[in-house]
Amino acid sequence: MCCSKLLSFSVFGVILATSCLAADGDCSFNASPEQFLSIQSRTRADISDRLQKVTSARFSSAQQNTVAASSIPKRNFIDEQIFAKMATAGTASAPLTSDDEFLRRIMLDLTGRIPTSQQIRDFESSADPNKRNDLIGKLLYSPEFVDKWTVWFGDLLQNSATALSTAAFARQIDGRNAYYNYIKKSINDGKSIRDMAWEAVAAGGNDYVSNTAAVNFAINASAANGPVQDTYDMMLLKTASAFLGMAHYDCLACHSGRGHLDTLSLWGQRTTRMDAWRMASFFSRMRLNRYGQQATQYTDPMYNSADVQDATAGQYDLNVTFGNRPARCTNGLPLDPKTNKCPVAISAAANQVTPEYRVTGAKPKDGNWRAAFADNMVVDPMFARNFANRIWKQLFNMGLVDPVDGLDPDRLDPNNPPPAPWTLQATHPELLEKLAGAFVDSGYDLREFIRIIVGSSAYQLSSRYDGDWKVEYIPLFARHYPRRLDGEEIHDAIAQATGVPGKYTIQATVFRYSPTDVVQNLSDPTVWAMQLPDTSEPRSNGSVANFMNNFLRGNRDTQPRSQAGSILQQLSMMNDTFVNNRTKVSASPALVAIAKLSADGAILDEIFLSFLSRLPSARERGTGLTFLSKAATAAAKATAVEDMAWVAINKVDFLFSY
Amino acid sequence: MKDRFGTDWSKIRGTQFWKQPQLGRRMFFRHVGTALSGYFLMPARPMETIAKAAPSMIGTAKNVIFILMTGGPSHSDTFDLKEGSWTPSFMAPTSYGDIRFPQGLMPKIADQLDSVALVRSTKAWAAVHGLGQTWVQIGRNPASSLARIAPHIGSVVSLELGPTSGNRSLPAFLSLNTGSGPGAGYLAPENAPFYVSPGGGGLGNSSHPNGNLVFDRRYGLLQEMDAETRESGELGTSITEMAAFNLSARKLMYNGDIDKVFTFDQNTRNLYGNTGFGNACITARNLLKAKLGTRFIQISVGSWDHHSNIYTPNGPLQGLARQFDNGLGQLLADMKQDGTLDETLIVAMGEFGRTVGPPNVQNGRDHFLNQAVMMAGAKIRGKRAIGSTDSQARDITDPGWSRGREIRPEDIEATIYSALGIDWTKQIDSPLGRSFEYVPFSGQDLYGPINELWSS
Repeated sequence: MCCSKLLSFSVFGVILATSCLAADGDCSFNASPEQFLSIQSRTRADISDRLQKVTSARFSSAQQNTVAASSIPKRNFIDEQIFAKMATAGTASAPLTSDDEFLRRIMLDLTGRIPTSQQIRDFESSADPNKRNDLIGKLLYSPEFVDKWTVWFGDLLQNSATALSTAAFARQIDGRNAYYNYIKKSINDGKSIRDMAWEAVAAGGNDYVSNTAAVNFAINASAANGPVQDTYDMMLLKTASAFLGMAHYDCLACHSGRGHLDTLSLWGQRTTRMDAWRMASFFSRMRLNRYGQQATQYTDPMYNSADVQDATAGQYDLNVTFGNRPARCTNGLPLDPKTNKCPVAISAAANQVTPEYRVTGAKPKDGNWRAAFADNMVVDPMFARNFANRIWKQLFNMGLVDPVDGLDPDRLDPNNPPPAPWTLQATHPELLEKLAGAFVDSGYDLREFIRIIVGSSAYQLSSRYDGDWKVEYIPLFARHYPRRLDGEEIHDAIAQATGVPGKYTIQATVFRYSPTDVVQNLSDPTVWAMQLPDTSEPRSNGSVANFMNNFLRGNRDTQPRSQAGSILQQLSMMNDTFVNNRTKVSASPALVAIAKLSADGAILDEIFLSFLSRLPSARERGTGLTFLSKAATAAAKATAVEDMAWVAINKVDFLFSY
Repeated sequence: MKDRFGTDWSKIRGTQFWKQPQLGRRMFFRHVGTALSGYFLMPARPMETIAKAAPSMIGTAKNVIFILMTGGPSHSDTFDLKEGSWTPSFMAPTSYGDIRFPQGLMPKIADQLDSVALVRSTKAWAAVHGLGQTWVQIGRNPASSLARIAPHIGSVVSLELGPTSGNRSLPAFLSLNTGSGPGAGYLAPENAPFYVSPGGGGLGNSSHPNGNLVFDRRYGLLQEMDAETRESGELGTSITEMAAFNLSARKLMYNGDIDKVFTFDQNTRNLYGNTGFGNACITARNLLKAKLGTRFIQISVGSWDHHSNIYTPNGPLQGLARQFDNGLGQLLADMKQDGTLDETLIVAMGEFGRTVGPPNVQNGRDHFLNQAVMMAGAKIRGKRAIGSTDSQARDITDPGWSRGREIRPEDIEATIYSALGIDWTKQIDSPLGRSFEYVPFSGQDLYGPINELWSS
């Protein structure tokens, strides 16, 4: 319920809509708790905090002055927008990244991996003026890129083998694996995001079967404890939130926007519950069914799978007074408080809502209503804006509109600004429109769209900012905003730097003895955390799963991925066996090689490069060399190398992409 | 449609938050009957005022141990025992006053029944595991949209009462053998559950695997190497925050008080059954005794999802019940002895019950809404049942409490808050200015605590 205040005021049948507080915020089913906290100021305060954490972790000995925004080379339309606004505001820009900063950032952002010491040396020593763009191209087409962005889409599409808290039935491990394989193949093959989204909305078939695995998105919409209309609404919410950035449909599925969204969304305040039902009606012929099971689960490979099908008739029926949302009565009228029933509709048709797409009023041309929705959705300007904004946020760590599922369609077009006191919603309204256009022009291509963003000078600004930084600068993107690494990235960084990978078996199924071709197996063993199909894995190694869970991977349902810190994270970094079994010369081929280096300076450099992707600062070098010099024997040297590796992992900047 | 007790659930279902209370006159009097003075029964007085004026908290508890029996235990084989031709002899049904109890299945708890009340008129809202488990932990419908930001009951307790007095090394809310689940919701991270899976060898990751000496050397070096980062005070709050996390973590390491709680020997372990659940019970006992801040302890134990072969000797039910009995039975005995039982409310429940009567074709039991809850401590009156059911525990014959209807997870939640002295009808602002009601609909008096647990 978007507005629980309503409760206390509705006691005797008088619903005082105005009591729903004007300060009402985002009320998405899918939004993270942080998003409930984070109206824009909260987001910005978080970014400010993260900034301070990391920039202070960087070498203060390597001071570098801020520069005039006008002096930064403009590489594409992004830079024109970003630096023009910065110049107008009279705010200086952070300098461009050094090669080592850039390398660590671009690798983490595109592939989720930190660079190896050799990669850093090669990259820094190359005199090729085009080396950054070449590297970007190479990374975009690397297998690690596919892994990282498969996880990103897994989060967005809520692929997990754990029942969603609201689901009437659960996706099983086999469905999860099938969907994972589908997403991974789509990313790998460069399938357009438009097609992926279209299939998520409109696909039919069985969720275990590889060529129909896209139906797994619809399974998320199954709503427990209510009528089918709850499921239709849920499908609209999940779809609108993920693909249009419009989570406010969650509010509108309960009540019209007026009196609720008045200060939040210009679009929302004029949109009615009927409008939302017309959108949800596109899903009213969708049928989610359990696969017809054979006698026992042990022999049927399709056991507990789900079929998504479409009926040829039916619509969104009103006069429904039970379920998870307020009674659905004709024309959106409230219940009669005396009889507790819906008012009688003037005709049978008045209780039947048929599909109409938002703004355009488009209706289905034939009986396939979900396909009609998908057709409309992918040409809705909100579709491209949504992905442009979400991908921007992933790379800049703050959206042009943030939270990313709170887009207000009426406040995005710079050529048609909203009436006062409303303002355009994006920090850079023209930039968001141009990005959306570029996304469409790229053929909705993930790689080519990312290439545009990361090739800009704006993306390549340093997070260091030696001038007088103010919170008001944050919407200007005058420096890069750091992010804490995800659990998977921390796992893989430690595994890579020590040369001790993971080795995990991902279950296909627990009880099936005779796998057939439809059973979806994953690579065995899985080595990198970024290849795990969901955030509950590896189930075969609980201690590693716990280690990563401390870094708040989320559950793709009620608990979002989060970058918050905690005591448990610090305890894990210092003492967990995942870290300490790898910072051992006896286990780590990388540390063995480092311990064999003759000069202490070389040892220190190699550890810093392998773990922290940079060379030590002067002060760090002084401290480190003093420590290493005390180790007289080979055995003592090996121990000192282990200590130094542990220290590198526990330094603050190890945990961040900056 | 009214049930046999005159309650029309279609009008006050937990899922229908927009509904008006629609309490009939009989319901009205039943609700307010015992708890309120005659003044409030004056018909002119608005219901809302009555509900707001009503809360009178029990307040006998300082702590809570909430045992989540995941999977849903068979109520008719445990806390609401009903015998039939299917009942195996190892259950050894025995009468304790008015209570019939499977002494053979849970002998140690049977010995503690004078501290235990069995709430037999409980009914879940949903027979789906994930939904039900979330429901009992957040005390509201997970499918309602406010549930998206809803905190765990333990997080609300943490917010209300904070850590217990003492040295406060540990957070207020510890969750044992749980791993993941509902957390702090929209509340601050300090109210989040602190997850521990205790093994008796100390708090996980609170000692360095290479030993204290190595750790001191490394931590010293880290402080020096990271000094540039951590000393730069001009960067303000966030450094403090990061340093604080590290410092708090460091404080938990090589800390005698912490070690005493999380370290126990094989004898103690054996006493508690030498299982993960037993270890959690030992930890809970130690936590409450040590008073290091923790006051809400969740222990998860399962799986009770016994769809097949439920009665196999030493099989799924008997084996799990043995773990449960060894741990909880001993915990009750120890807490009684050290005096913490009187200030601690213990609640043990699953997310729902299981089908009753003859077992299914796989000799198991499937999901069923009726369930039974075990409660103890906090000065509740033991050795009795609240509510009663028919011969198979299929239907409730007597709700056994003032509201005269089934007891719901929301009522259990209200009972926990009331026992702790927390006003369960309280509404707090969410960061968005919307109010968040501790127990949903309690402002309309739809749910409330089971005060009968304390009545003599």
